[in-house]
Amino acid sequence: MMGMSDLDQIDILSGLKPGSELYAIRRERPEFVEGTELCRETVLSPNHGFGLSHALRAALASRMARSIGREDLAAVYDLMLDEAGSDADLASIASGAETAAAADAFTSAIIRHADLVTQTPRNSSRADIERLEKAGLTNPQIIALSELIAFVNYEARVLAGLSLLEEVE
Amino acid sequence: MSTARFKVKALSWSPYIEPVDVATASEEQLAAMQVTPSNTKVSPYVRTLAHDPESYVARTKLFNAIMYAKGGLDRAERELGALVASAVNRCVYCASVHARRYVELSGREDVVEEIYVRGLEGPFDARTQAIADFCKALSETPSQATKEQVQALRDHGMSKAEIVDLVHSAAIFGWANRLMHTLGHSVPVEAK
Repeated sequence: MMGMSDLDQIDILSGLKPGSELYAIRRERPEFVEGTELCRETVLSPNHGFGLSHALRAALASRMARSIGREDLAAVYDLMLDEAGSDADLASIASGAETAAAADAFTSAIIRHADLVTQTPRNSSRADIERLEKAGLTNPQIIALSELIAFVNYEARVLAGLSLLEEVE
Repeated sequence: MSTARFKVKALSWSPYIEPVDVATASEEQLAAMQVTPSNTKVSPYVRTLAHDPESYVARTKLFNAIMYAKGGLDRAERELGALVASAVNRCVYCASVHARRYVELSGREDVVEEIYVRGLEGPFDARTQAIADFCKALSETPSQATKEQVQALRDHGMSKAEIVDLVHSAAIFGWANRLMHTLGHSVPVEAK
């Protein structure tokens, strides 16, 4: 069965049409296609969120997509944020605002880490993890945050690569 | 003329946070770590990420598919994609693991030496150069990767299906590096 409903987020944001050559090639690797969507669930809307709400996760994903330069990807996470229940603080995080105005120390530390690891992962050090600990993050929260940050960075690269590949012969 | 072959040292990895203790782990964590009565030795890396078993299980499955699935891009070149990403992100641990795996699969110590000694600019042979250029751009800033770089991969005989595999191998290391290089650091392998 072929139809718009068969397009997933990666297809849509990479500009792949159902029935196109690259759409078909992607389906030759179902473990990549399904695996990516399963990973998305585990970082954006996990069963056990360790106190990091789905809304906060969506807001951070949107912010990171924006900082990578993918407004289209950010818009998808903005929608997810709205569905999860947004507010002014979360919208400010998503927007990429320098310091999300009313953010508490816990949230500020999370935002800082997401920005740092997205933009300059090479500069990461023990001190950055200690900052998260001092701001009150538990070990499961540190890991969950790290996986979320890393996933969005992975997704942005898959999108960029597939979009370019769709343009060549 | 040097006859000594360039070798990348094996490294071990040490986390900045306390890993999950197998003795006190939850059922879900034990299942994620695949701990059984006969298998209780779990690496610090696995025990660290098992703090969030849900994402650990899903990512591990995706990672294994991207790096080891049959057919498509030669496994050595997937390792090269991983190595280039790891070099960009300065993940010393990942780079050492995947440089060594790349050499095992390809025999190309020359490429690894070039990357370690001079960097990702090369010069390399044409196909290796095309892979390095594309994976470097994609890893640094995805929007900086170009159509010309993808065309160069096509011109060097890479099929679109193989390029899909290469994109995923570089991208999954945009992920893995952001775990390994931020959550811990490489340490010399302990003498046994």
